[in-house]
Amino acid sequence: MRRSTRVIAGLLTAGVLTLPACGTTSENRGSAGGGQARADACTGPDEDYLIGMSQANLAEPYRVRMNEDIRRAAAKVPQFRVEFADAGQDNSQQVTDVQNFLTKQVDLLIVSPNEAAPLTSVVAKAYNQGTPVILLDRKVNGDAYSTFIGADNVEIGRKAGEYIAQTLLPQGGNVVEIRGLPGSTPAQERGEGFRQGIEGSQVQIVDSQAADWLREKGRETMDAILKSQPKIDVLFSHNDPMAEGAYLAAEAAGRAGGMEFVGIDALPIPSGGIKAVEQGRLSATFVYPTGGPEAIEAAKKLLITCQDVPKTQILQTELITERNATEVYNRENSQG
Amino acid sequence: MTATLTPAPERESDSRRSPLAWLVRFQSVLGLVVVFVGAILFSPTRDGEIIFLSGENLTNIVRAVSEIGIIAVGMTLVILVGGIDLSVGSVLSLAAVGSAVLLVEDQVPLVLAVVLVLAIGLGFGALQGMASTLLGIQAFIVTLAGLSIARGLARLWAGGQAVPIAYGSGRGEAPVAFSLLGERTFNGIVPIPALIFVAVAAGAMVFLRVSAFSRHVYAIGGNEKAARLSGVPVTRVKITVFAVCGLLAALAGIVHAGQLNQGSPNDGIGDELDVIAAVVIGGTALSGGRGTVLGTVAGALLLGVLNNILGLNSVDSNVQLVIKGLVIVAAAAVQRFAPRT
Repeated sequence: MRRSTRVIAGLLTAGVLTLPACGTTSENRGSAGGGQARADACTGPDEDYLIGMSQANLAEPYRVRMNEDIRRAAAKVPQFRVEFADAGQDNSQQVTDVQNFLTKQVDLLIVSPNEAAPLTSVVAKAYNQGTPVILLDRKVNGDAYSTFIGADNVEIGRKAGEYIAQTLLPQGGNVVEIRGLPGSTPAQERGEGFRQGIEGSQVQIVDSQAADWLREKGRETMDAILKSQPKIDVLFSHNDPMAEGAYLAAEAAGRAGGMEFVGIDALPIPSGGIKAVEQGRLSATFVYPTGGPEAIEAAKKLLITCQDVPKTQILQTELITERNATEVYNRENSQG
Repeated sequence: MTATLTPAPERESDSRRSPLAWLVRFQSVLGLVVVFVGAILFSPTRDGEIIFLSGENLTNIVRAVSEIGIIAVGMTLVILVGGIDLSVGSVLSLAAVGSAVLLVEDQVPLVLAVVLVLAIGLGFGALQGMASTLLGIQAFIVTLAGLSIARGLARLWAGGQAVPIAYGSGRGEAPVAFSLLGERTFNGIVPIPALIFVAVAAGAMVFLRVSAFSRHVYAIGGNEKAARLSGVPVTRVKITVFAVCGLLAALAGIVHAGQLNQGSPNDGIGDELDVIAAVVIGGTALSGGRGTVLGTVAGALLLGVLNNILGLNSVDSNVQLVIKGLVIVAAAAVQRFAPRT
């Protein structure tokens, strides 16, 4: 038995080493040739195209919605078939997902990176071998990609600040800020933009605490803030779920009536910010677009109509108040 | 339970010769073959060529499982002595952060940095082994605490954010040699992490063949009290095993940092579960005393092939989770009804 184990062990180790090695020589040549041939990926409207979409995670509603938007937009392009991969917040898994798409020789990649650095080299590999790459929401390092589509968090934060300073509190007042995960770029940028937006007004930030993007932490954080702050006019939260959590805390303390709640994201889903505005819990929220429809639009240009796409496409936000909440919700859900 | 246990000695002598028992003993290798053949059958094709079998894809699979596989070799030893190590995912992350900080921010020479990080893993594992054996706390509890401690240390060391690794000879850049971990050798075919995995596994198998240490490990897992009475240095062997597991988790962390060009304190979350899954699918009994490194290697590759073919077919990610869970249950079930060897 000992001997047989050893033999098998030897075989397996040898197998692991040689098996991929012998398979690869021919394949390598094949794929290099394929890359060359597809250096100009655009082959017009008569072809069918396979698009690989690598999503960082599907734990965030925003990203579920992004996939949904892509699926709907692609359904309107008969030449397009989209396959999705979910990396589950794992950088290694996302590298593997992109490699799988490359192995299948997809005609175009859409990637919403979990983090920039780990994805940079595999995205560059795809781009350099002639596969167009559309980056959504987060970039990679360097410029080896076809186009980046995302929103400007500083701009959104600034719009929120201006709205609070000019519309909600023209005479000035006390604002509490609930921030996203410390160290995350959107949290930094939304906070920075917000400060630009209220600059020069009478609005004061009386407290600012992080609740890591989470609804339950928003509630917990607000519980503590309510005890220390006797007068709060507006709560500004870096996303809608934390604003909703804060609303619950204020309501439980009997103080929700005298306060306005402003969030960001405005997802057009039943648990999202637009519904919260429509139902009167939030006063306003700002759309953080997923870029899904725009990505399919860019894919059409890159593959079918052979047009240039800009290297960077910044998406515009939209203010949601009770005036337009119902209309926007229906508009966003009627596409496709 | 008793019904299966009582006739065991008899069956064992029978099973030595029975080909069925032989198959069960190598269930994971067999399972790997089955999953491999299944993958070929279900593989998408392109111009009549089976995509799954392309060399690039096969090497991708070994690369993708290399980190889990390296740790699983250490975990096999820990489980063989009846222990468990839940801290490996956090130790991987701590080592990845350590590599990035030492190389990029502290400008420590490559070899020294690698040695330091490996020593941290070794030390961390040894401390867990000591806490478990000397204080008599269950390994599950000790390493659950270790999971938390190593994660906390990683976040503190990294300052809460991933430390990016750029390569070059300037200040704030890591030696270019470190980037080899993300590359391939032999004509750009074999990924370096896969080579490291194979080397670690082969080394462990050879070591377990030739050394008395191996007998001690199996003896402790079989019956710790009897092993102690017959003169096996139980405490020393157990501490060593935990230290080796920590060392290999750190090695995987170094590979991780090199592959992803950053040391992130949030990576490797849940890796311990993938590692334990590979070991269990590999036929190692969680109760200790029974199992092989070869089985674990096959178990890790089986998970890799499964992950790959599900990905190639773009199976819904939630369905993938269910399928992987079912495979683990199936592997454990085969073990449960296996004749004891």
